[in-house]
Amino acid sequence: MTLTNTTRRTFLTSAAALGAAGFFPGGVGMLRAQEGRVLNLRLDGDNSILDPGYMVGGTEIEAQKQCLPFLAEYVRDGDTFSWQPTAYVTRLEYVDDTHIEFELAPGLVWSGGHGTLKASDVAYSYARMKDSEWSGYFDALETVEVTGELTGTLVLNKPFAPFIMVTLCHGPGAIVCEAATEAAGGRFTTEFPAICGPYTYSATPGQRAVFEKNPEWTGPAPGFDRVVCHVITEVQAAELAYEAGEIDCTELGPDSLARYSKEMPENTAITTAGQLQYMWMGMNTQHPKLQDIKVRQAIQHAVDVDSILAGAFAGTSAKSHGIVCPGLLGARSDHGYTYDPAKARELMAESGVTGLELTLRTLNWQERLLTAQIIQANLAAIGITVNILPMESGPFWEMGMEEAGDTWQDLELWIMRFATVPDPYEATQWFISGQVGIWNWERWTDEEFDSLYDEGLSETDTAAREAIYVRMQEIMDATGAYVWINHEPETYAHKTSIEVVAAPSGELNYHRFKPV
Amino acid sequence: MIPYLTKRLGLAAIVVMAVLLLLFSMLHMIPGNPAILALGTRATPEAIAEYTARMRLNEPVVTQFFHFLGNAVQGDLGQDVFSNRPVTAIIAERIGFSLALICTGMGWAVLLGVPLGCLAAVRPGSWLDRVTGIFSVGMIAIPSFLVSIWALLLFSLELRWLPAIGAGEPGDFADQLSHLVLPAFAIGLGWVGYLARMVRASMLEVLGEPYIRSARAFGLTPRRVVLGYALRVAILPTITLIGMGFGGLISSAVFAEIIFSRPGVGKMIFDAVSDRNFPIVQGGVLVATCFYILVVLISDLLIAWLDPRVRSSL
Repeated sequence: MTLTNTTRRTFLTSAAALGAAGFFPGGVGMLRAQEGRVLNLRLDGDNSILDPGYMVGGTEIEAQKQCLPFLAEYVRDGDTFSWQPTAYVTRLEYVDDTHIEFELAPGLVWSGGHGTLKASDVAYSYARMKDSEWSGYFDALETVEVTGELTGTLVLNKPFAPFIMVTLCHGPGAIVCEAATEAAGGRFTTEFPAICGPYTYSATPGQRAVFEKNPEWTGPAPGFDRVVCHVITEVQAAELAYEAGEIDCTELGPDSLARYSKEMPENTAITTAGQLQYMWMGMNTQHPKLQDIKVRQAIQHAVDVDSILAGAFAGTSAKSHGIVCPGLLGARSDHGYTYDPAKARELMAESGVTGLELTLRTLNWQERLLTAQIIQANLAAIGITVNILPMESGPFWEMGMEEAGDTWQDLELWIMRFATVPDPYEATQWFISGQVGIWNWERWTDEEFDSLYDEGLSETDTAAREAIYVRMQEIMDATGAYVWINHEPETYAHKTSIEVVAAPSGELNYHRFKPV
Repeated sequence: MIPYLTKRLGLAAIVVMAVLLLLFSMLHMIPGNPAILALGTRATPEAIAEYTARMRLNEPVVTQFFHFLGNAVQGDLGQDVFSNRPVTAIIAERIGFSLALICTGMGWAVLLGVPLGCLAAVRPGSWLDRVTGIFSVGMIAIPSFLVSIWALLLFSLELRWLPAIGAGEPGDFADQLSHLVLPAFAIGLGWVGYLARMVRASMLEVLGEPYIRSARAFGLTPRRVVLGYALRVAILPTITLIGMGFGGLISSAVFAEIIFSRPGVGKMIFDAVSDRNFPIVQGGVLVATCFYILVVLISDLLIAWLDPRVRSSL
C-alpha cells in the first residue's frame, strides 16, 4: 500500500489546480459538450405533484408530457390550434358525437417491469381522474370501454365538442400505469411510479429536474439526449441566465419582450406559444352608480385601450375584442364599441349623471396599476373621478364572491384577467347566470347567453360553434359591463439553433424540441 | 459558566417562542382565505375543505400554535402543502447550501476585513487608512442585492467568467465552488467594510492602553505587540459582530439566492410565502431563528472563553 504524504506545498498546489478548474470559464462547458446534445431550460419551481389527478399544473404537466402517455397533442396550424394523435396511438377518432375510439401503438413499455401500455391503463387513468381534483375536465366522460388489449372507446355522457382539445391534449389527459400506481398506494407525488415516454425523470429539489433518454422507449426519438431544467423562480433571473448562455430558452415578461423586440440578442428567436389570457375592466351592473346602461356605455367609449397597450404593456400584447382569445374558434377582430370620448360625453349627458366618483380595484402589479392610471385619466376626461384601489391577491380574488363577505356589494370597477384553455367554452362558463356572485362579478343574466352556452358544448359543426361564441360575446358587449383590454402572450426567447414546441397555454414539450 | 449557559438557553427558548407566536399571528392576519390562497381561486369546495381540515385552519389559532410547537419539539415540522413531503426533509436538502454560502461570505469578509482594519489602525492617518476608510464605508453603503446584480451582469453576462445561476452540478466540487463565488462575494462585501471599521476602532483603543506601551517598552516586536497582545483584545467586540452578522447574512442570502437562483433556506421561505405554503414558512423561520440564536450563543461563549473578565463577571 502506498501512502501519499500531503505537505503544505502539495495542498496549496492541489487547491490552486482545483480552483483553476472551477473558475476556468470554458472548463465545465467543454466537459458538458462531450455528453451529447443537452438542452438547458428553466423550471419556475419544484415539481411538487406529478400525479395528474392532484397536480398543481404548469411545469408538472411538462414533466408528464415527457414521461407519460397521452392520446392526443396540440398542433399549431398557422394562427390557430388543433390536435393530432400522439405517437402512443395508431388511431384516435370520433365515431359519433359521444364515442371516441382509440387504438394504442403496440410494444410501448412501462418502466420497472410493469409490462406494456394497455387500453386498461387508459380506462384506469380516466376513471381515477373523475374522482380527482381535476375531475371537472372529465365531467363529459361517462366511461372508457376496453374492447381489446390495445383498443377502447371513450364514451361521453353528452356531445362535448372540445373533449379532445381540452382534456386529452392537456395535463389531465395523462395516462398512468395501473399496476405501478396501485402499488404506490393509488397516488404519487414527486416520482412517477412508472414511465412510458421518451425521457426518464429525476429531480434535485430547489435545483433541477433532469430528463434523460429513456432506454426502453421505442417510439420516435426525442431531439435531445438530455434536458436539464434549472429551477429559476423569477422570470427576470431566467432572462439573465439566458443572456449569460446558461439556458437555451426562457419565458419573457412584457418588458423584456419589448426590449428583445427592439434589439434581439445574437442568435435568438422568439416563439409565441399562445395568447390564452383575457383581460378586461369589469363594471358591476347592479351597483347604484352603474345601474344606468348609458353610464356603462359611456365608460366603454371613454377608455383608450390602444394607449393602455402602448403605455402599460409596451405594445407586446394583442388588443382584446372579447373573452375568446386569438387563435380560438369565435375569436373576433372587432367589438361593439369604439374609443370615442365625444360619444362618451354625449352618453353621460343623456344619463344626467354628474360628479360621478368610482373606485377601480386592481391587483397591485405594475402593469395593472399603469392600466388603472390610464383608465383614470381617460374617465377624468368625461367627468368621472376614479379612485384606484390596489389590492393584494388574497382579498382581490374573493371580492366579488358572495360567500366571502359583503365586498361584492361595493364593487364598482375592477381590472380582471382570466386564463383559459384552447376552446372558447371554458371562457364563457364564468358568465352564465349561475355564476352571478361566484365569478360573474358584473352580475348580469341573459337567458339567450345561458342557452347558447349549452348549445356550444354539444355543437360539433365548426361554423355553427363559431357563430355561437361570436353571438355570446355580442351579448356581453351589449351589457355595457366590459371594456376589453388585451390578451397577453406566452412568449419564449430561445436560441435560433433549436425549434421550440409549446402548448397554447405555454407548457413546453421538450421531446418535440428539435435542433435546427 | 454553566449558570450562564443555562440562563442563555432559557432566554433562547423564550425568543424562539416569541418569534413563532409573532409569525403565527402574522400569517393569520393575512387577508383572504388561506385555503383559497394556497390552492388557487378555482379550487373546488371539496379541495378547500380537505385543505382546511388537513391544515387545522378551522381550529383556534392558539390551538394551532401549540399543536405546531408540540410537534416541532419532537422534530416534526409538518408537511409541504403541495407535495406532502416532510418539512424537515425539505429544509435538510437546502440548509447545506445556505450554510456554505453564509460561511463562505463571512469567511472571506473576515479574512480581508480583519487585516485591513489592523493595518489601518497600525498606521492611522496614512494613505492606507484613508483608502480603507473610504472603501469600508462604500462597501457598507451598497446593498448586497445591488452587488449581486452588478456582479452577475459583469462576471456572468459580460465577461462570462463565472456561472450565473444554480449551485452547480451535484457531485462536481469545482463546479459547485465556481457557483459559490459570486453569491459569496455579494453577501460578504458589506461585511468587509463593517469588520474593517470595527477592528480599526477597537485596535486604536487597545493600542493606546498602558499594557501595550509596556509591551513595547519591553522591546517586543511591533508584529508581536499587534497580533499577540492588541488584536486578541480588540477582536472581542468583532466576534460579537460576526455572530450577529451570521444571523444578518441569512436575510442577505435571500437576495443572493433569488438573484443567482441558488437553493437555500432563505429562498425556500421566500417561495413558500409566495405560494402561501405555511408549513414551510413556519419550519423555515423556526430553523433560521434557531440558527441565529445558536450562532449568537456560540459567539458569546467564545468571548467568555477568550476574556477572563467576562467569565468572572458571570
